[in-house]
Amino acid sequence: MDIFSDLVMGLSIAITPINLLYLLIGAMVGMIVGVIPGFGPSAGLAILLPITFGMDPVGAIMMLAAIYYGSMYGGTITSILLNTPGESATVASTFDGYPLAKNGRAGPALVMQAVASFVGGTVGVILITILAPMFSQVSRSFGPPEYFLLAMMGMLTLLVMIGSNWKLGVISALIGFALGTVGVDLETGQGRYTFGSAELIGGIYFIPIAIGLFGLGELFYAFYSGMHRHGSGGLVQYSKEQRFWPTAEDYISTRWTMLRGSVLGFVVGVIPGAGATIASLMAYSTERSLSKHPERFGKGEMAGLVAPETANNAASSGAMIPLLTLGIPGSASTAVLLAAFLLWGLRPGPLFMEQNPEMAWGLIASMYLGNMVLLAISIFAIPLFVQIIKVPYRILGPCIVVICALGTFTVHASFIELYLMFAAGIVGFFMRLYGFSPAALVLALVLGPLAEEALRQTMTISRGSFGIFLDRPASVWIICVTAALLVLLPLLGRIGSGAGKAEKAGG
Amino acid sequence: MRIVFLVAVLGAAIFYSYIAFADLNFMTRTGRLGPGFFPRIVGLTMVAMTLLAILDALRDRARVNAGGAPGADDAPDGRWRDFVLLVAMALGYAVLIRLFGGLVSTVLYLGLALALLNPGRHLQNALVAIIFPACVYLLFDRVLNANMPPALIDLPF
Repeated sequence: MDIFSDLVMGLSIAITPINLLYLLIGAMVGMIVGVIPGFGPSAGLAILLPITFGMDPVGAIMMLAAIYYGSMYGGTITSILLNTPGESATVASTFDGYPLAKNGRAGPALVMQAVASFVGGTVGVILITILAPMFSQVSRSFGPPEYFLLAMMGMLTLLVMIGSNWKLGVISALIGFALGTVGVDLETGQGRYTFGSAELIGGIYFIPIAIGLFGLGELFYAFYSGMHRHGSGGLVQYSKEQRFWPTAEDYISTRWTMLRGSVLGFVVGVIPGAGATIASLMAYSTERSLSKHPERFGKGEMAGLVAPETANNAASSGAMIPLLTLGIPGSASTAVLLAAFLLWGLRPGPLFMEQNPEMAWGLIASMYLGNMVLLAISIFAIPLFVQIIKVPYRILGPCIVVICALGTFTVHASFIELYLMFAAGIVGFFMRLYGFSPAALVLALVLGPLAEEALRQTMTISRGSFGIFLDRPASVWIICVTAALLVLLPLLGRIGSGAGKAEKAGG
Repeated sequence: MRIVFLVAVLGAAIFYSYIAFADLNFMTRTGRLGPGFFPRIVGLTMVAMTLLAILDALRDRARVNAGGAPGADDAPDGRWRDFVLLVAMALGYAVLIRLFGGLVSTVLYLGLALALLNPGRHLQNALVAIIFPACVYLLFDRVLNANMPPALIDLPF
């Protein structure tokens, strides 16, 4: 009953004309971000975060969250129409999405992906509504040792998921940790790595690095990959004359797929580091193994599109749980969202829902509305997105550089941060090229200062003894869960990549 | 190039570790962990991991030289040229912003970038180079009341 009244309170905050407008803009922008190949939610969030500075915090967070889950909806459109995933979480949607479009069923595939995304997103939000207060309750007993362990858990699980390039992932994370140490040490007041610069006293700010790595770095890589050389218009598998709406059979045959994908996606999404990509690949693999006609997968089977779609949207909802209740982001996108919360003076964590109920429940309520808005946009604005896909990258590229540059400058009106963003863009390109992990760097940059502070507090409490981590039941639990994840996640990753390889081999 | 990048990271890691050991204390006078505690751990680990990665890269190169799989630097024709062109224009834009401010530099940058990347479509390029900065200016400066970069050199128009 408490949850219900909190949700009603959240709805009353979310349903104002201005907040609904922000939600609509966020959903639309998120879909556009998702549609642009190579640009995921982290890039979109980082680039557009500065735009929210003039807004009120509730509206701004609602808009950013809508960009975050909206990009999951948008990313699939290119998967279906172009066989090019808008971002990594929609790779699995190409396996059956593109064959459906090639078979002349682009319209039904687009509508079904919207419905599946809606179901996945909504089931995810329902689970957040039920589980977030419980997680909050449990994590209230956490102290500095647990926070340090949680930060390490987030980093380790992400690094494990990087796979064979784990050494480069560790180096990326260490670069992030190193950047996080720049600035005045809060405990002693001593400057670290500031080299006498007044600009560095406050530390290296997160936004220019994130915009550079995800925005410019990805753009440079897209140009290096030659995406600007060809227009995508001729490749788009969509025609207005084709049948648009799915058949009743499409809905009926995939009803359990949607439910399975949603629950699986949410559970994987809650695990820091696992994320929507693994969730969608796992859901695809699971669905194929449960299907009576596994041979149809990869040739245009609707369940093969619906499963990853429900899973990636449910996973993006699931990833909000550790963010809201522990203050620990599990992915680069949620790290940018955490930065947004911190910018507004809000510190997600165990007490967040108790101390900021308007913000927390307003956000959760807005996610219900956001999914409805996205369902409508996804279906009725398809012709618009088809036109956006046709805009050549050679025109889009310079415009993205402009938004990255001006967006960075608006944060602190600092030219140093602007140059830092360009430098991060070049570094981000080389990181991407040589198999480093920009996501690990950004996550470490956000988690590093939190982890260092928690570790130093822990050592002060324990008088320098690491035994404190084994003395506290909550710490022992976190260590056990981390160990279990370190064993399980590579297995889950293998299941996911196995599905991908099987589809590639199958054509 | 991969090895060059890793060596650059190694250089940065060594410099970072040097500062951590030379300038930052491991413990404070009161016996608590000092400002150098975390950086020393991070720096030393980064040096060790980068050395391992360099060894891997050298092994990869030896395999490629022996006729194995292609490396990351073996890009098709013109890709590096396009990357360098885009980076050069982006850096040029950074300089233009400082000199002429947000609005004028954006028009100049887009005009030049589109002329190079989208040649022959003069009307389309001109429209994008004017309409897009105008929209961005309206959004940032008028709607959001955000800071647009000011000009160092005032233009007569």
